[in-house]
Amino acid sequence: MLKLFEHETLDVGNLADQDTAIDVQALNLWFGQKQVLHDISMRIPKNRITSLIGQSGCGKSTLISAFNRLNDLYSGCRSQGSIIIDGRDINHAKENVSRLRTQVGMVFQRPNPFPMSIYDNVSYGLRLQGIRVRRQLDDAVEQSLRDAALWEEVKDRLFEPAHILSGGQQQRLVIARALALKPDILLLDEPTSALDPLTTLFIEELMAELKKRCTIVIVTHNMQQAARVSDYTAFLHQGQLIEYTDSDTLFTMPDKKQTEDYITGRYG
Amino acid sequence: MRQVAINTHISGKFNIELENLRNSVLTMGGEVEQQLINTLKAIKHNNAGLAEKVILNDLKVNSMEIQIDEECLRIIAKRHPTASDLRLIMTISKTITDIERMGDEIERIARLVTKNKLPPSEAIISSMLVIGERVAAMMRGTFDAFARQNEAEALEMYDKDNLIDSEYKKLLKFTTSEMERTKEDMQDWLEVLWALRSLERIGDRCKNVCEYVVYLTHGKDMRHTPLESMQQKLEQLS
Repeated sequence: MLKLFEHETLDVGNLADQDTAIDVQALNLWFGQKQVLHDISMRIPKNRITSLIGQSGCGKSTLISAFNRLNDLYSGCRSQGSIIIDGRDINHAKENVSRLRTQVGMVFQRPNPFPMSIYDNVSYGLRLQGIRVRRQLDDAVEQSLRDAALWEEVKDRLFEPAHILSGGQQQRLVIARALALKPDILLLDEPTSALDPLTTLFIEELMAELKKRCTIVIVTHNMQQAARVSDYTAFLHQGQLIEYTDSDTLFTMPDKKQTEDYITGRYG
Repeated sequence: MRQVAINTHISGKFNIELENLRNSVLTMGGEVEQQLINTLKAIKHNNAGLAEKVILNDLKVNSMEIQIDEECLRIIAKRHPTASDLRLIMTISKTITDIERMGDEIERIARLVTKNKLPPSEAIISSMLVIGERVAAMMRGTFDAFARQNEAEALEMYDKDNLIDSEYKKLLKFTTSEMERTKEDMQDWLEVLWALRSLERIGDRCKNVCEYVVYLTHGKDMRHTPLESMQQKLEQLS
């Protein structure tokens, strides 16, 4: 039969190991006495964009932060279960967290450029890794800024302070800084909620380009954004994974009533 | 069965918008149903005045289609509906196209009376009225199924089209034999054939609406699916 529209969908419930970027297995997480994640199991596909959606406090930021062990920074945080990335359980006590955070980059809601030049912001991580060769740094800075669609706007003022950039440019700079380390996975925690609609579209366009080289996981409160940009969407409610499937299905015919109520703005 | 609960959104205004949209479809459907009833009356009593009224009233139906379509577009643009809300709006947008076409078919039948082209055979007129009553009942049931989002009722109405089709075929055969017999006024006979065809087509349009009701409640596109397979698929889903 003639197929007019091709929409590739993987069955995330039965994702093969080689297609999996992050394999979350029975993850439970507590802050002190309060359990914030309950028995989360999901496989996040490689080179795709996966959105985590849900009400404030549902645990989506905690879940995304678990993917590069950022929750370790909070005292009283403890977890059970495994998160397998690149064949390793990153929750293992012997996990090299610095290496993990190179492999799994993160961008936050508010752009947080370091108080230094545009160039130094992008090259910072590489210098920490011990790279000192100027030519090598120059090339990496240019490539990362190009990948973040910022090069043309800043190439003539690389040594000016980063804070002079607009909010959207600062966010792309932060993305360039993460990309310089060539991460396998990029975590975006509400990356456009502080940006205007046009700049948001630029960032979304950038994400579509970036997924060719890395896996993207995004937390967003903007359901239209989740529907627009992500291949797969997970809906969380009170720390539980309610539904996780391809975004086309989730936004047209969700299986669970709780998902339907949330995405259509009904009383829960 | 998964009914779309229109009035449970956090936004009260959105609830009102969807409720008004749904009600406007039922008003449009009711209007077309009345048009068919009036046309059948006009045929029965050879009442050209009533048939003329039906023809003029079709403009009202056309205007309703445009207004409802515009409202659908406005809601899509402003509310970004998803899931069952999106299906409801898509269903409405498609349903009103079919209702408007039903109106056009009724107008064509009514013209038989205004042009004084009713068949010279009482038997044909009487069979035409019987089929017309069946079509009107099917139409009423179809709009009820839409209003209640009741796919069982929709499937029941869907099935009624078979009877209408078979009666139409019988009447067509009888009419063509009458044509052969009289061999006069072929142009007038052609008008009669077109009118019969229009009556049968209204049943097909009702079938389309029944399929949309199933799509609305189950999210499955059942167009071009035989009734048995449709029932099987629905049983699997529920």
